[in-house]
Amino acid sequence: MRTRKFIAVLAMTVPIALAGCSSGSGGASPSIAPPAGATFDARPVKAGGTINVALSQDPDALDPTTANTFVGREVFASICEKLYDIDENLKIVPQLAAAAPEVSADGKTVTIKLRTGVLFNDGTPMDATAVKKTLDRNRTKADSARRSELGAVSDVAVVDPSTVRLTLSRPFAPLAAQLADRAGMIMSPAALAAEGDNFGAKPVCVGPFSFVSRTSGSEIVVQKSDKYYNKDQVKLDKIVYKIITDSNVRAANLRSGDLQVAERLATNDVPAFQADSKFKLLVGGGLSYQGITLNAFNVAGTDKAPGTVNTPLGKSVQLREAFELSLDRDTINKVVFNGLYEADCNPLPMNSPYRDPAATCTKRDVAKAKQLVAASGVPTPIPVTLLITAAPVNQRLGEVVQGMAKEAGFDVKLQPTEFVTSLDQAKSGKFDAIQVGWSGRVDPDGNVNDLITTGGSNNYSGLHDPRIDDAIHQAAATTDDTKRRELYTTAIKAQQEQHCVIYLYHERYFLGTAGDIAGIRYYADGIPRFATAGFAA
Amino acid sequence: MGWFVLRRTGAALIVALIASVLVFFGVRALPGDPAVVLAGEGATPELLAQIRHQYGLDRPLPVQYVDYLRQVLSGDFGRSTQDRLPVSQILLERLPITLELALLAMLVAIVIGVGAGIVAAIRRGRAADYVATGFGLIGLSVPHFWLGLLAVLFFAVQLKILPASGYVPFSEDPGENLRRMILPALVLGTGFAAVLMRQTRSAMLGQLASDYVRTARSKGLSGARVVGVHALRNSLTTVVTVLGLQLGALISGAVVTEQIFVIPGFGKLTIDAVLTRNYPVIQAVVLVTVIGYIVVNLLVDVTYGLLNPRVRLSGARHG
Repeated sequence: MRTRKFIAVLAMTVPIALAGCSSGSGGASPSIAPPAGATFDARPVKAGGTINVALSQDPDALDPTTANTFVGREVFASICEKLYDIDENLKIVPQLAAAAPEVSADGKTVTIKLRTGVLFNDGTPMDATAVKKTLDRNRTKADSARRSELGAVSDVAVVDPSTVRLTLSRPFAPLAAQLADRAGMIMSPAALAAEGDNFGAKPVCVGPFSFVSRTSGSEIVVQKSDKYYNKDQVKLDKIVYKIITDSNVRAANLRSGDLQVAERLATNDVPAFQADSKFKLLVGGGLSYQGITLNAFNVAGTDKAPGTVNTPLGKSVQLREAFELSLDRDTINKVVFNGLYEADCNPLPMNSPYRDPAATCTKRDVAKAKQLVAASGVPTPIPVTLLITAAPVNQRLGEVVQGMAKEAGFDVKLQPTEFVTSLDQAKSGKFDAIQVGWSGRVDPDGNVNDLITTGGSNNYSGLHDPRIDDAIHQAAATTDDTKRRELYTTAIKAQQEQHCVIYLYHERYFLGTAGDIAGIRYYADGIPRFATAGFAA
Repeated sequence: MGWFVLRRTGAALIVALIASVLVFFGVRALPGDPAVVLAGEGATPELLAQIRHQYGLDRPLPVQYVDYLRQVLSGDFGRSTQDRLPVSQILLERLPITLELALLAMLVAIVIGVGAGIVAAIRRGRAADYVATGFGLIGLSVPHFWLGLLAVLFFAVQLKILPASGYVPFSEDPGENLRRMILPALVLGTGFAAVLMRQTRSAMLGQLASDYVRTARSKGLSGARVVGVHALRNSLTTVVTVLGLQLGALISGAVVTEQIFVIPGFGKLTIDAVLTRNYPVIQAVVLVTVIGYIVVNLLVDVTYGLLNPRVRLSGARHG
């Protein structure tokens, strides 16, 4: 009897383990319906308890001034509130600020009213002086990663204890969005004075939870704050963020009950969790995009003058168009991601108000692609080396692209490369084509500026088109949303005419939770918010 | 014996110095700029330059090496570029965890491997031999990653009798610590046990066919005494050699095992550091590992000398 049970369990386990080994690829399973776009499970929750939350990477130092990792933002969401936040509709809403920023007629003075009676987690008051201290640190610290984000701010003044005034060197529409991210996380001046450059080792801000400890590369522990202005809504006693980089391991730990929450489940795990009533799935993301960047003008590095890259794709815009026409975004989404992502040809999220509502993506047209290839006079097959990150899902994506492009006359050679190395090659212009993406920003400026503007450090294709530059810079300088939409439409159309960045899809993020966990808010930015989370009552 | 140890220690120090040079320059030969990793997506050239300056990456390599060596000799490995914690603190946190895992895995390997090797040698050509040899083949062939996932799914997800992952310090809760270490130690120890089994079996077969064993049997010594005292003792030289040589395999196995079981040990630290081009941590990890190797080899040499006096005598004669 015991033997039979053993064999039965083994029989169930082996296929799961084998499936686990085929990490990330959609396998041969048919595409499935995406889960309902739930961003919040509103069941009432009871007070108390500790949850283990898996992060997909190890955050860098928890110092809002210098931090750069996405997962760092996930931890900050529990311990460091910002002047502004976003809601489920990507609308910017006040968090530590009391209201939307008041912008002067010339766009160069911004007044921000603050919540009153707010304490940092060390018990000191959060006021205008603290805000000035933080913003000045972000603007001036030598290794600040926020300097460019606040580059338009020339002065921060304390008007009264609950009001700050920012003077700008130029009108800067994305400011509120920047203050809804790390640039707007207000740090305790007392902690800054005590810790200095090591603030990230013991961060103190305003938050529903306060930092307790960090074991490098392993876990970060935060506990409920008794200083939080809205502490009655906080139910959990403690959150343990565990660093688990492998999605198979995250999924296995969620199934075993060692985790209560696991972020970024692989798309091939989604159907199983969706079908299992013991778990719940929240769907976030949509801000980021992934695509293929073709090197047309980056001859010696993004920081050097652009030229024309001596490859068929570099020299001919028609061949780049043919390459794009050979790809079928919907099929890529279905085959590689079970149809769970959003196929798209635009760097802005699908629900962005700054998108041109009339714009449509080109459909796959192999016949036209072949015509363009023939007209170019370049003998086929045309060699293209595509850099992809060395991971099973990227390999699969590359193979699908390879197959599609072959029909149009391209011989795509896949070059799996470790991520950091591929970034190095992209920046230095040593590539034909690279599969790369962007984690996305709330304000459209963050999704195009520096990415397709002349000299941008992330402009891997070396695009240098005055139409694009002018439109993006003008859009950042106006607060008229209609005007901004027109300008971004102009810039994105101009890029699409150059076919340097072939946008493919927006990723969705799947947050798996144990069935008895509720109250997590999970929006387009892919950051789980635990202020109202807990065990279902 | 004293001269023997001194000579071996001197050679070990030279190897450590050469290793420090290789590690330092080898790490910097890797493609990929740590500043790019640290600066993240929105890196500006100014920020990249500032980060390179902050970590001294903009200075000539020989200058960086001399500073690094000076730091290391004073026991300072610098700060991790990832979370800016002191590297020595990270090593002190991580190293004992991997040592515990390696020790438990070794225990598993010795109990299973040496035991199965002895049985296979004594029962040569019989069912027990085939079972042990079959186990050895499987143990060598199955990748740790797959075995680890299988173990998690079987014991943690299906049977729910052991935790899937995580680590609790021994000082905090010894029982929970061991409970969480069972699966990783078994997974890591299995491959190692297979190697030990094959080596023990082979060495024992050689000894059992020796003249002195035949003589011992003809003197009327019991089978247990012949095997346990005479043949096994003489086979141990081989086993000890394998134990030393396999330490590297154990550490490289720990890299994968720690990833699967989310154990914050040395292996996981190594992978994370390489992927983020965390130079100070990579250098420290590799250097400590090399020194660990050297020390183990030194101990193996000394143990040889103790087990077999001819080794130290020959060392002295040719020294």
